[in-house]
Amino acid sequence: MSLYYSLCQYDVLRIPQYIGLENYRELLFEDPYFGISIWNTLVYTILRVPLAIGGSLILAILANQAVRGIKFFRTVYFLPSIITGVVLSVIWMWMFNPQIGLVNTALGWIGLPGPLWLQSTAWSKPGIALMSLWGVGGARMIVFIAALQGIPSSLYESVEIDGGGWWARFWHVTVPMLSPVIFLWSVLEIIFSFQVFTEAYVMTKGGPLDSTLFYNLYLYFKAFDDYEMGYASAMAWILLVITLAVTLLQFKLGKHWVHYTGGAPE
Amino acid sequence: MAWWNTFFDADHRTTIRGVVYGILGAAILLLLFWDLTDRKPPEDDKTHIRYWHIVGSENDVPYTVRKFNQIQDSIVVHATPIPWQEHEKKILTAVLSGNPPDVVSQFVPVVRWASRKALLPLDDLIAASAFDTTIFFPALWNEVTWQGRPYALPVNTASYAFFYNKDLFEEAGLDPENPPRTWNDVRQYARQLLEVDADGKILQAGFLPGFSGSHQGLLGNMSIAALIAWQKGVDYLSGDGATVTMNAPELIEGVQWTIDYYKDYDLAEVQAFIGGLGTGDQHGFVTNKLAMLVLDMSFLDLISQYRPEMNFGVTEIPSFEGDPTVSMAGSWWLGMPRGVQHPEAAWAFMQFYVQKDIQLEEIASRDDPLFPANIHAAYDSSFISKPLVDVFVRQMEFAHSPTVVPLVHGLFWREFYGALERSVRGEQSPEDAFQQAEATVQSALDRAVSYDRYVQSRMKDLN
Repeated sequence: MSLYYSLCQYDVLRIPQYIGLENYRELLFEDPYFGISIWNTLVYTILRVPLAIGGSLILAILANQAVRGIKFFRTVYFLPSIITGVVLSVIWMWMFNPQIGLVNTALGWIGLPGPLWLQSTAWSKPGIALMSLWGVGGARMIVFIAALQGIPSSLYESVEIDGGGWWARFWHVTVPMLSPVIFLWSVLEIIFSFQVFTEAYVMTKGGPLDSTLFYNLYLYFKAFDDYEMGYASAMAWILLVITLAVTLLQFKLGKHWVHYTGGAPE
Repeated sequence: MAWWNTFFDADHRTTIRGVVYGILGAAILLLLFWDLTDRKPPEDDKTHIRYWHIVGSENDVPYTVRKFNQIQDSIVVHATPIPWQEHEKKILTAVLSGNPPDVVSQFVPVVRWASRKALLPLDDLIAASAFDTTIFFPALWNEVTWQGRPYALPVNTASYAFFYNKDLFEEAGLDPENPPRTWNDVRQYARQLLEVDADGKILQAGFLPGFSGSHQGLLGNMSIAALIAWQKGVDYLSGDGATVTMNAPELIEGVQWTIDYYKDYDLAEVQAFIGGLGTGDQHGFVTNKLAMLVLDMSFLDLISQYRPEMNFGVTEIPSFEGDPTVSMAGSWWLGMPRGVQHPEAAWAFMQFYVQKDIQLEEIASRDDPLFPANIHAAYDSSFISKPLVDVFVRQMEFAHSPTVVPLVHGLFWREFYGALERSVRGEQSPEDAFQQAEATVQSALDRAVSYDRYVQSRMKDLN
């Protein structure tokens, strides 16, 4: 249905009018916000994905130590991730508050001048990407811990016999052994990042100066503010194609760096 | 062996589990298919109509519904409260499904729905019942009219006026009984009211055009540029509704005033200052951080709630020398969705709702302040004689509807604020910024108009 509507002018309340590829032409060649929203989403994805995966990996390694009460710490780290969406956005709005917010207060302690965050065109996207740190202790950490526990200790022992330190253990054993999980999360996180919406909808409405006008936010404006359902459907299909292409590319590149102990799956 | 041991042996346990799961499954299925929302009305000789209103401060049946059901016995109104976030989608889905409620209460621009034939035009019912449409403020009546036909009745509105803090005026050496009359006065007063620390950090501001004290963005609320443009007589849309003008000299004058105004300030400091203001008891005006702003009458309630002893005044929205004051007012309205089952009964309820006495009684029954759409109710001594309310009533005479380009309403204001922001931040000249906005809106309007013509030719039965 949505594919057909993407070829129509359609406002939900009345009958669709078939207009061929007009929506796609308008989007790709005339609409300035299409390019802006793609760019914003891309920058956000590039900032967020390493932060989210790297953060979870580091936390998983820390939470995988044989320390007394580690299960308690794992639970504590997991807790923030159950808060999502609008509530999280409202909390971060206060954290990013330039005058009295926690983030700038903390930066002040180490003598750094805090930026305007959500009110600055340069810092609004990094700010929203930074919010992903909130959820590093969530599902990703749990999966990483499970994978870490699946690494045979004999591998670490052989590094020690060869005289390798912690870095050698991490780089030559942990990372290759975790690479299938890292790969899985990089595929998923890129897809999630492409879908970023709630943060911008609640905190910035796309501003300042369209710097947080993400693809899905623009799609939402088109669908539910302007009632241009045909146009919004075309946008959704373009996003699907982009996501599919990026995922296929990742699978192609993955062959060069993902290590499967039992041989690569076909 | 006790009997329960045999009863709970392994074989029996499987059977019991099967029975329990069976019952649970059946219950879930039953719940899924049981239509909980739309039960058949009782079979009597009365007309039962459904009214969807937005959940207010209380979830019970609104005063007007109780009263209407009390005073007559041929129509029964069944009121269903719906959360406001869901309201629009729920009603539109109901319209599409062909089983809408008989009356809905909403605050989205009427023409947004009327232009898409989601509402029933009321002209026939109005003519048949000789209903007097001049009881409403003209701006509100315009708001519910699309291509010459009314599609709703206005019920309440938010009237805007100019608030100022008398204590801060006195501290700054200004006469608290002499509020600013012109936009240039406002700029002058604001300079005197500004307090900045040694680092340039703003501690107290006089006035911030476009900012109403509780929004994160710089230019998010009532735009002074838009008010100035209306005061200068701007006309955004051609008579035939097909051509939009945003790069209009009247509007550019308002935008230029805003740009010049912010030249007195460090914009980054203004943004940091705005970011530090909150809502409720942390509202900038209530906490003495912002001395003047344009806001609607419900703000009186917020002040009395959080700082009843506050010494403040309310006056007419300023203008330039010789220009009229101008305000903006959208409306809460009642309408009948397309496919309504009982239009006559619905119409009887709607007429009842907007009567002067009923409007006043409803206002008295609620905690939150309402402003009646009925002029006679607004000018009734029981309403207008409340402290400071007279300014808001008079301001309504100069109100403009915010729905200026009905077919692309949302886009118009997104582009408007986008162009304003680019101009104030110096990214573009106001002329270029609004020319760009105009092109975007015009292109969308062209599409909307051509689609509208197509639909008109295909859906004759909807006219």
